[in-house]
Amino acid sequence: MAVPDSGGFYRPKRLSEAVQLKRRLGERAMVVAGGTLAVQLLNKNLVEPEAIISLEDLPLSYVRADGGRVEIGATTTIASLLRHREVPAALAEAARGIHGLVLRETATVGGNLLAPAPSGDLATALMALDAEVLLRGSRGARAVPLPKFYRGALRYDMRRDELIYAVRIRRAPRHSAFQKLTIYRYSGPTLASVAVGLEESGGRVRKAAVAVGGLMTHPYRASASERVLVRQGLSKETVESAAQRLTEGVELGGQGLYSGSYLSRLAAVLFARAMEKVMSEAGR
Amino acid sequence: MRIKFMLDGSEVEADVKHTDTLFRVLKDRLGVRSVHFGCGEGSCGACIVLVDGGPRYSCLTLAASVDGKRVTTVSGLREDGELTGIQRAFIEHNAAQCGYCTPAMIIVAKALLDQNKSPTEEEIYEALAGNLCRCTGYIPIVEAIKSVAARR
Repeated sequence: MAVPDSGGFYRPKRLSEAVQLKRRLGERAMVVAGGTLAVQLLNKNLVEPEAIISLEDLPLSYVRADGGRVEIGATTTIASLLRHREVPAALAEAARGIHGLVLRETATVGGNLLAPAPSGDLATALMALDAEVLLRGSRGARAVPLPKFYRGALRYDMRRDELIYAVRIRRAPRHSAFQKLTIYRYSGPTLASVAVGLEESGGRVRKAAVAVGGLMTHPYRASASERVLVRQGLSKETVESAAQRLTEGVELGGQGLYSGSYLSRLAAVLFARAMEKVMSEAGR
Repeated sequence: MRIKFMLDGSEVEADVKHTDTLFRVLKDRLGVRSVHFGCGEGSCGACIVLVDGGPRYSCLTLAASVDGKRVTTVSGLREDGELTGIQRAFIEHNAAQCGYCTPAMIIVAKALLDQNKSPTEEEIYEALAGNLCRCTGYIPIVEAIKSVAARR
């Protein structure tokens, strides 16, 4: 299919069109959704793309919830996400932490997934909700769990011709929470963020997901902490024990102004707060 | 590429590159004075305008994106040639000192009140989180907006 030339600026109306454009143009094109991250690169002269693929006309602004299953289109704005009631608690809390009317009306869920620390709060919440990134390329669609999606600093499990079209939570846990610390109350980079997702009954933890953001370029699952909760249940002591293991197996270099040990301590405090919230909700 | 859009009620045209931002086109090409540069990264808000009624950082909006759309700056907010209630409230409450943040503050105030007729103080601060002011300490701006909300 011949793609019309429009001075290097493309506004595909269908996802298949967008994928074809990405396949044809590859790294010569910059993909723009809300623009709150990508267009910064232009302002700072960090990129010189031959073409722009704008996703604004694609029908990817939606939130579909059915039982515990939630699918959110990639160009859904933060504001739009907050207007839906069926969004799991951790994700809603992470979205509420993105401040400013204009930013909320412009920034997209898909864009936020590709934002590295000190942005990218939604990924911490989504990781604790066991979310998958839904990708579409010329070879079809595939789902990638978030921990697998992030391969390293700004490296993703995404093929050259692929676009993120949605993020999907197969089964939202009954209880979830998100906590973060930023420099300023209503803005500023995130120092650290922690999200927890919990399925429990009668004090026994059937499933625990703990995600930590801000300490590395992208969030990670603190599996050692999850094991403590699943094996030992919910109590002040097990939470403390789990908190101590949040950075197990993680090489902490610190983040410019903040040392690894400070961020580690901070993550433990945020984890305790998130656990306090889910535990009181679960009546423990 | 050539773009055509409505700017404060008049149709304008411009030749733009695919990488040109709306801010640059408004400021350099079309002589708009009410968009100001503060950061180029969506932190200060001084460049905010309305695009099809929705507030946008013009420095993070590609000019090509507004082809066929309606762009409104603070100059386009007049009602029958008169200042709007929000603008009068800003004057009454001394909500502008140097004026650099003011056009964008007014745009965001309008966008907020369009969505929410009676915002709480917390909601006003939350809405203005992306607008920096170095002069007023924000209080007169918030009071101005509260006074408009109270009148509605």
